[in-house]
Amino acid sequence: MEPTVQVFWTPKKGNSQEEYEDAFGCAVEEGRFAIADGATESSFAEIWSTILTQKFISAPPEGQPPEHQSLINWVAPLQKEWHSNIMWDRLPWFAEEKARKGAFATFLGMEFNEEEEVEEGIMDKLLFMFKKQKNTGPRWRALTIGDSNMYQIRDDELITSWPLTKGIQFTHRPTLISSNPTANETVWDHFIYETGEFEEGDTFILATDAIAKWFLDRVELGEKPWHVLNKIKSEEDFSNLVAELRSGLKMQNDDTTIISIHWEESSADD
Amino acid sequence: MPYSAEISRTNPGCFIFLIDQSGSMIEPISGGDGRRKCDIVSDSINRLLHNLIIKCARGEGIRDFYELAVVGYGATVAPGFSGPLAGRDIVALSEVANNPARVEERVKDLDDGAGGVIQQKTKFPVWFEPIAKGTTPMGAALDLAHHLLTGWCQSHNYSYPPIVINISDGEATDFGPEPQAEALTTLHTSDGNVLLLNIHISGENLTPIVFPDSDEDLPDEFARTLFEVSSPLPANMRELAKNENLTLGEEARGFAFNADMIELIRFLDIGTRSSTMR
Repeated sequence: MEPTVQVFWTPKKGNSQEEYEDAFGCAVEEGRFAIADGATESSFAEIWSTILTQKFISAPPEGQPPEHQSLINWVAPLQKEWHSNIMWDRLPWFAEEKARKGAFATFLGMEFNEEEEVEEGIMDKLLFMFKKQKNTGPRWRALTIGDSNMYQIRDDELITSWPLTKGIQFTHRPTLISSNPTANETVWDHFIYETGEFEEGDTFILATDAIAKWFLDRVELGEKPWHVLNKIKSEEDFSNLVAELRSGLKMQNDDTTIISIHWEESSADD
Repeated sequence: MPYSAEISRTNPGCFIFLIDQSGSMIEPISGGDGRRKCDIVSDSINRLLHNLIIKCARGEGIRDFYELAVVGYGATVAPGFSGPLAGRDIVALSEVANNPARVEERVKDLDDGAGGVIQQKTKFPVWFEPIAKGTTPMGAALDLAHHLLTGWCQSHNYSYPPIVINISDGEATDFGPEPQAEALTTLHTSDGNVLLLNIHISGENLTPIVFPDSDEDLPDEFARTLFEVSSPLPANMRELAKNENLTLGEEARGFAFNADMIELIRFLDIGTRSSTMR
């Protein structure tokens, strides 16, 4: 199998492209993808969301699922990197005071493995033996904090909506990971890990909150919003769709980002 | 729905603070450990401006989500900024941020997490100085606000309506404030009428009355007049007040009477903390 990957993004209405604070990262060869939504209330959030996504696709946290300490060890050098990206000496008093509070972001990272020996507990192994199923196969693993969301579509049906499953679960106060270590004391329990299988023909959509909420709202109305997304072929198509949904009050005015990953038969398999 | 406009750089919000600078503001405020009303009010306004600036700071600059003016009324009725902004009326928040009169260094007590207290130095920018001299020309101050906001409302038709916060410790001495307040609150943007919030501060140890929804419990004609000219709180401010564990009805007005230092700070916070900033 090989993935066809498309990324679309647009800043919130009224903001310039330079003020876009979401971020995305794709390492197609490694099968790693990530999105993050930098909190607009914080300063230098675009640097923080970019660092989180780029680090995940190059070196994700260790462990399946990662333990608290593994997450802390993973985030610590990213915080230093964020800090070193800021020209502290040239900041006016208010910008320095704001930046010292740290930047904040949601995060969602996914890794796909086509042939994977899955790490499992003894009960899982017994269950597999009982069912006489093979313990390998294409699997995805995902790690998230906050309200970015992932959808898995198979045979024109939504089979996974993760971690949120209802539009009403999107609030204005998601848990965020910060570039400031003192702001992260209670966040580690809010990281969520999940794994599942995938197969040829599956499509995955990673989305930041505004479009992720629109997606689930439409699903709850019995619609198939991936049909709308499938028609998008260019950044312009995406910007037009988002503008239309915002003006119709179907989507919040916010930075908006999706990564679409469609798995199909690889040309080498022919 | 009124009072729901998103606050953005294209459609900024506007605050006007009307500050009583009459001679009686030299007296101590209730709950202020002997500190003068004028000192507590100027500290509160400076801290509020500071917080608003930090809230709107992004990267190396400020996003101008707000414009604001400070008007002092006492011996004179005039714009109240000190320093580089002296004499200016409505200014963008970035101008305020870049032009404090001075930056003081103050010491703040912090919990050390082990039952003790550690002291931390903090920067305290000052834009507005304490003054206590003259009478209480509240009507003229409301007139000046009306003058400033007439043009502002015309040029910001899609903005959240301006919020005028009037802080005083006594009755108007210039045949105000009813006609002037009525004229002020008929100004409007497409999102609603100008909001007038009145806070009466006291030196006496009386129970503060905050966001009342009727004038039944108010002690005198002066209090009832201030209640009458205060705007009903829009839904987002009622929600903020409820989150502060205040009990208030659907008809609650933007008014506090006999406020002590704590209520003054809380009132200013609720009156200026919008939930719709983007």
